[in-house]
Order: sequence, then structure tokens, then C-alpha cells
Amino acid sequence: MSSGRFLDKSLKFDWFFIGVTLTLMICGVFLVYSATVSEEIVFYDTHWFRQIIYFLTGIILAVGLVFVKIDWLKRAAVPSYVIALVLLVFVLIFAGDVKGAGRWIDLKVIKLQPSEFAKIAYLITISYWLSKHPVSLFNLKTFAVPFGLFIVPFALVLKQPDLSTALVFTAVTLVGFFFAGLTFTDMFLILSPVLSVLFSHSQSMVMQVLWGLLICLVVVSVIRRHLSKGLSVTIVATTILAGYASSMVWNMLEPHQQKRVNTFLDPMSDPLGDGYQVLQSLTAIGSGGIGGKGFGNGSQTNLSFLPEEHTDFIFSVLGEQFGFVGCAAIIVLYVLFLWRASSICKTNDDPFVTLVTMGASTIFLFHITVNIAMTIGLMPVTGLPLPFLSYGGSFALVCLFLVGLLVCLRYQGSRQ
Amino acid sequence: MYNDTSENETRVHRNWNVLIFLAGVVLVFTVILLRLFSLQYIHYEENFQRSENNRLRRIELIADRGYIYDRNENVLVRNRPSYQIALQALEMPKKKADRDSVFHRLLNIRDAAGMQLFDSLSLDTAFQRTRWIKTRPIRILEDATMEQVAVIEEHSTELPGVLVIIESRREYPYGTLASHVLGYTSEISEEQLKLPEYATYSQGDRIGQKGLEQQYDREFRGVNGLKLVEVNASGREVRTLSDVGALIEPVPGLHMISTIDLKLQKVAEAAIPDSARGALVALDPRNGEILAMVSSPRLDPNIFSLKRRERNKGWAHVALDSMRPLTNRAISGIYPPASVFKLATAGAGLENGIISETKYYPKACTGGYQYGARYQKCWGVHGNLNVVHALRLSCDVYFYQAGLEIDMARINEFARRFGYGEKLLEVDIPGERAGWLPDSASFNRRNKRLGWRWARGLILNLAIGQGQMVTPLQQAVFVGSLATNKGVYRPHFMKELRDASGNVVHRYEPEIIRSGTMKPETHRVLMAAMDSVVNHPGGTGKRGAIPGIRVGAKTGSGEWKKGQKTHAWYAAVAPLDDPQIAVAVVMEAAGGGGSVGAPIARKVLMAYFGLEEENK
Repeated sequence: MSSGRFLDKSLKFDWFFIGVTLTLMICGVFLVYSATVSEEIVFYDTHWFRQIIYFLTGIILAVGLVFVKIDWLKRAAVPSYVIALVLLVFVLIFAGDVKGAGRWIDLKVIKLQPSEFAKIAYLITISYWLSKHPVSLFNLKTFAVPFGLFIVPFALVLKQPDLSTALVFTAVTLVGFFFAGLTFTDMFLILSPVLSVLFSHSQSMVMQVLWGLLICLVVVSVIRRHLSKGLSVTIVATTILAGYASSMVWNMLEPHQQKRVNTFLDPMSDPLGDGYQVLQSLTAIGSGGIGGKGFGNGSQTNLSFLPEEHTDFIFSVLGEQFGFVGCAAIIVLYVLFLWRASSICKTNDDPFVTLVTMGASTIFLFHITVNIAMTIGLMPVTGLPLPFLSYGGSFALVCLFLVGLLVCLRYQGSRQ
Repeated sequence: MYNDTSENETRVHRNWNVLIFLAGVVLVFTVILLRLFSLQYIHYEENFQRSENNRLRRIELIADRGYIYDRNENVLVRNRPSYQIALQALEMPKKKADRDSVFHRLLNIRDAAGMQLFDSLSLDTAFQRTRWIKTRPIRILEDATMEQVAVIEEHSTELPGVLVIIESRREYPYGTLASHVLGYTSEISEEQLKLPEYATYSQGDRIGQKGLEQQYDREFRGVNGLKLVEVNASGREVRTLSDVGALIEPVPGLHMISTIDLKLQKVAEAAIPDSARGALVALDPRNGEILAMVSSPRLDPNIFSLKRRERNKGWAHVALDSMRPLTNRAISGIYPPASVFKLATAGAGLENGIISETKYYPKACTGGYQYGARYQKCWGVHGNLNVVHALRLSCDVYFYQAGLEIDMARINEFARRFGYGEKLLEVDIPGERAGWLPDSASFNRRNKRLGWRWARGLILNLAIGQGQMVTPLQQAVFVGSLATNKGVYRPHFMKELRDASGNVVHRYEPEIIRSGTMKPETHRVLMAAMDSVVNHPGGTGKRGAIPGIRVGAKTGSGEWKKGQKTHAWYAAVAPLDDPQIAVAVVMEAAGGGGSVGAPIARKVLMAYFGLEEENK
């Protein structure tokens, strides 16, 4: 390749996208620094310095990835999927007694997290398959292979147990279906049993009405889509049954199991466990006000109670120190990031590119939403980190790999 | 590709889908922004106030550690309150000048004797540490006296961030009594924290080290509780948020009723002077309950509950002592079994029909035995003997000949049946060592490096118990199970575990770990021999005789170093016709078993049968 191509400005590289990513990363290093400023250790052992090293490694990885041809990615799909499964099985078999050991492969120098690698491998594989074989509710056989591809890594990750990562796989699959032929209504119909469970969980009047509305809506949608009779009946029946079954299962659970589910859904009901962290996080964010307490002034008060302030609860650090303005700025950056990321699929007509792009965007969106919603008490406490802001080597590499993949798709696509 | 639509339609469709996706993104982030707005603008005041003034604290409620009782429910180990003076980083003044004044005030505090409570060096270190340890209190005075606590409480208003914490520490009311069995507690060490078996422990936990304290740590420690409290700006507890379910009561640890008999243990401790090196084990051979266990010299486990300076002093004293008081000789000390092992040799011979009560060997004891070019001595001149006489007089010449005829494989098989050997007896305190019964194969394997080879002549030594390795516990188990002839029970200390309200949670079930049986004829001859060792006027163990009780025993004098006095062994069972107690005593480098060991065991047996020591 000649240097002329590199300098060519016809948007082979979306410099705006790259700029937003770098800005987010810089913010991340500063936040990790302020969250861990009280450490008294040599600088090359500090979290912020290590985070810089992780980012630099990731950037090198991403730059290398840009030169990979799209065909090579397609060819790598199946082998990488197989490797990911092998690693997931390996980690399950050799799970130790130590907390969280079921997720890691310790290579002494670094710790590998196969589920992170599996996210990428799965994304490429499912995109590759769906780009060749669109799915349709009128031909249910089209779902067989993608569902098979999905359920194996999903089950393995769930077994670790890592529910939140397993849900990432689910999100990627659903968005993949959406971009491989399903309509908005179809998506609603697929998700309707889940919604039914959610609405029937509480016994309140409002929820009961909502549940009734849901059933009506499902019936209307099924009729308007002119689905086959068998499928229509199945969907409506599943939705209704899901609602009843969930309340029946709920009543069959032992009280302590019910308590665990409740604690998961509403951490505030357990102020000594997860709720404690959320409570501290809410206080920290709320006390930031509009303008925040200023850089470095937050960690003195509430945040020293948060054991995971530099990883999962980094958003609380942001909220306390930079207030609403800072939070809004970061959210705007995320919106811009996702906008530029998803627009990459418009540069190429290959459905594979569309699917990978939207899948990658989904991975980012899912992490961002679940993490922030957790710190502000809207969602259960799960272990999903915040892209570019949370401390952590594995996840930083995954994020930058995905960014590299997106830049690659645009660059290689424009070369064809 | 999408056959039913044209390429352009596909593109439009895709772009619409992307728009829907982005709409979803905007929707989600709008919800988040609204929530943030509510938290940071609408509820700003209350959140800010809470972050400034009212802080929530999670306080761990340490569960009471379970006590250890003897078999008659006398307390052997209990807890006492201990006051710690500590710094709480979050309540300390933020300004450096204010912190310095707290520092100087602390330095100036003196007790009634005019001594400073704190030394500037360690206090300075603690103040440094408050800069990065925010949530945990940092101790500046350990195990403070009531007087010291009173001084601090008096000045509490001038000392923000200095607080008094009440902890519970272990107390051993009888001091050194059974110290090796009970063990002690101390703070978990850095090394232990890294081990997988301590994964559920955290820094600062006091855990059992050695003995029962270590073995049953999980049972003793209970489950810690937790409470959520609201504290004000100066760190005082405003209220406990127990009304909202924010209180988990601690579950106290289980109490243990041990098999130890305090009365017997006291007698045994008194019988062995602390200046001597030795061990004693008394157990019930019918179920394996250990009634008393002494290892001398002893240590006082109370030193581990003291403040650091005194603890270090005590620790240095025991750790550097050349007599090694930390070792539990009763289970970790390995000695040659000496003449006690002759019981195994004789037993194997009788069991295999090689010797009998009426069999005499051609060579009488004339003070020694010629084997090839070697002349092996006996400790006396005994003449021509049968097996009972040979055991009574502990004649070596008889057993040289018997050993050569019976062969080691048979002897070792018989010995292993009754608890000797390389397998642990699995007593329920850590540190037990396995013994060793050499035969040609294992001897060559072990001494390969030294180039020693097995020779038949070694049987001469082994037949009289010189060359094997056994622990005092094995010795007691051996004579005990020999006398009962009903199997070897696992020796143990745990009798019952009870919860705080006294309900029995777990009861130990006796467990047979070796077959431990022999032919009735073998048993009869061996018992007759053990009887005559004590109750025959010429027996080596006659000093162990107790009027009215039929004691059976075997003495031993273990050679271990040329020119040194022998290790004195004495292993006894009583009463012989209905064995209730087995006692093994070893006194290192103290002389003959009959003269040194027997009187010690006798005192224990007397105490067990409730007899008074008659005046001599």
C-alpha cells in the first residue's frame, strides 16, 4: 500500500469517530487516576498507569487490525468460534476454588478472560452466518443454525456463572436478527414472553393492566403480520403462559430464593449487600450536583466506601467530581460514538459489514446502559464495566479490538 | 442476497433500521439523563447533606468464639474482653495542623505511673497509614488496660478520630495446661491469607493456630454479623438502621466438649516437670477418647492474646528455646519404640505359631548373642527363658533369636494391625507425624542416598525396637488396642459440639481405623506377660504397680546417641481384664523406662481410679 492512500482524505478513516474514542479514553485515565489517587505505590504499579499501558496495547492491536481484509475476517469466523468454545470449556473444567476463578485462564504474565474473547468471536461468526442466511418468521428453519451458534457459548458463560456477559450474547443475537430480516414487529413478538414475565412479576393494578395490554398488542401484531396459524397460536400462548408460569414458579420458590431474586432486581432491599454499594453510589452521584465537587475532591468522602470505584462504579466517581455537566458530556460522547459507529454500515452494502457494525455497537450500548443504570440504581448490580472509563485490561483490549474492527470495516470497505 | 427486494430497497430498509437503533440509544440515554437530573438537581440538597454529615457505616459484628470444655464441662478455653485504641481515618480532621495537634495530644497522654501510652514512632506510622486505609480502624494501642481506656475516653472530645474498640480475645485459665492440645489464636498471617484453605478469611481475622483451635476453627468462629449505622460528622454512632432490616445478628461459634479430663490432665502435667523433655498420652482404648496429653516443655498460649510488645517477648522466648516447646512431642515427636516393641515381636511370633509359651531357644542369655562376627549385648544376664519371662525381663537375647526366626514382614504386619506404621492415626489436631517400620524394601529405599543396604543382622536391632520410629500417641494406641483386642479406634479430642444454647449439634462417633484383633491365645499370653512386667517382683515395670488394680505394661529404654542416657518409655494399660485406660510416657534422655517412666504413668492411673497417693 502506498502512502498516498493513507493521506487520501475521502473519509477512509472517520477521524471524528477516532477522536471521540480517544477523548473517552483520556477521560477514563483521569477518572481512574482520581479514583485511586490515595494509593501510595510507585507510579508504574498504579492503576492509572497500567490503564494507559492497556490502552496503548489496545491501540496497537486496533491499528494492526485495520489492515486485515474483510474476507480474512469471514474466513477467521468459524475457527475463532471453535477456539472460543474450547477456551470456555477449558476454563469451566479448571475452575478453582478462588472467587471468580471460573472466568480466568492464568498465564502468569496476564490473565485471559475467555468470555471476552468469545464476545468477539461470536459477533463475527453470527454476522457471517446471518449475512449469508437471512432469518424470517415465515420460515422457522432459518433460526436453527443461528440459535445453535448462540446457545452453546451462552450456556457456557452462564455456567461460569456470568449472567451479564451471557446477556451480552443475547443482545448481539437479537440485534443480529433485526438486521438480518426481522421487522420491528417481529422483534416485539420474540420479546413478548420476556415482557410478559416482567409485567407479571409484580401484583400491582398498573402491572396487571399493562400485562393485559401486552397480550392484546401481541394478538393484534400476530394478526397483522399474517403469520402461519401454528406460529401465531404458539406466540400468543407462550406469552400468556410465561406470565402465569413465572408467578407459579415464583410462589414455588423458597423464601430465601425469592429474597435473592428480589435483591438482584432491587438492590436497595438489601442495604447490607449490593444495596450498600448502590446507596453509596447514589449519594456520591447526587452530591456532585450540577457542577460537581471538582477533580480530585470526591474520593475523600463517600467513594472510599466503594470497593469497586475504579472498575464497575467509575461512573459514580465521574458523577461526584464533575456533576450533571460532566455526566451529560460523557453521555453525549457516547451518543456520538454510537452514531458514528453505526453509520459505518452505510459505507458498504455487504450485509456482513452491517451485522458486525451493529453487533459491535450493541455490545458497547449494552455495557454502557447496564453499567450506568446500575450506578444510578435503575438496574441490578452486575459486573459489566463501562467502556473506555472502567479500569481493566481484558475489557480495554476488547473495546479497542472492536474499535479497530469498526475502523477496519470502513477502511477496507472503501478500498473495494 | 435478499432476493425478494432490489438492492436499493435493501439499503433503505437497512438505513431505517439503523435509525431505529439510534432512536433506541437516544431513548435509553434520555432516561439516564432524567434520572441523573433528578439525583443531582432535584435531590441534590439531601444527597449533599448525606455525603457531608451523615454517613452510613457497615460495621462487622464479630461472633463469639466457641469455648472448649473438658469432659466434665470445666472450661478450658474462654473469651475475655480486650480494649483496642484505634484511629478511624474518616473521622480524623482534614487539615494537617489539626491532625498534628491530635498527634501531640496523644503523645502527651500519660498513665498513672507517668509513662507515655504511645511512642512517637509507632504513632507516626499509624498516622501515615490513615492516609490510605480509610475504611478500617488502625490500631494504635492493643489490649489496653481499663485505666488507659478511661484516660482516652476522658479526652475523647479533644481527640476526633480516636476510638476505643472492644474485641474479644482468648483466655486459657489454666495457663500452660494442655497447651499443645488446645493451641492458640492469633491474627491471620499474610502467608495464610494466600492459601486456598483460608479463602473465606480476611485480613485482621483472629484464627486458631495449632491444636484444637486450628482444627476446629470453622466451628469455633461462628458467623459474623453486620450492621448498618449512621454516624455523624465526628464519627459518633447516631443510630443503627436495624429497623430497615439492616442488621444481621452474628451466630456465635460452637462450644466443644472435649475428651480431656481436667483432673487427669492436671495430675499428668504435675508428674512431668517443665524442665524435662517428654510426652504423655492417656486414652480410652475402647473408643479412642484422649483423656490427657502432655508435651513438655510447655508454652503459655495466653501470650498470644497480649499486646504486641509482650507477645513478641513471649514468642521469642518459646521460638528460640533449644528445647523446642512449640513442638507437640506427643504427636510430632518420633522416637524408637524400644522394648515396648517386643510386644509386637512376641505377638507376631505367637500369632504365626512360630513361638509359643512353652518354647525355649537353644541359646540362653549369657549377657549377649553372637551373630556372625558381631556380638550383640543384652542389658543383663537372664538365662534360658520362654516368651512371658523374656517380656517380663525384657531380655534382648531371646528376641534376637525370635526376630530372626519370625522375620520382619510378619512383625511389621502385626505392628501395623495395632496402630504402628506409616499411616497417620488421624488424631483431630494438626501436626501428627507418621512413624516408620523398616523392612528390607523400605530400608533400602530410605537409605539409598547414604548407600546403606539391608542386612539380615538389622533384624536383631529391629526385633527389640531399636530403629523404628513411633510417636507417643501410637505407643498408647498400640498397648491399648493390644489389651482390648477389639480394634484400633481413631484417637480424638472432640466429644461433642454444642451451640450457644447448649444443644448438641454434633457428636463424635468412634471409628475403627485398624483391624486390631488377634487370636485369643496370643492375647492371653501377651496379657500374662504385660501383667508379669508390673506385678511380678522381678518385672521391669514393678514400680508401676498399683495395689488393687491389675495394671499391665511394658517398659522400654530407647538408645538414641552413644554415651547419652536412654529415652525412657513406659506404656501401660489398666485394668488388664477390662481395659479402660492406656497410658504411654516418654521421657527424653532420662534413663530406664521402669525407673523413670513407670512412676509418672502410675500417678495418672492412680488419679484415674480415684486412689490417693500413699506416703512413702
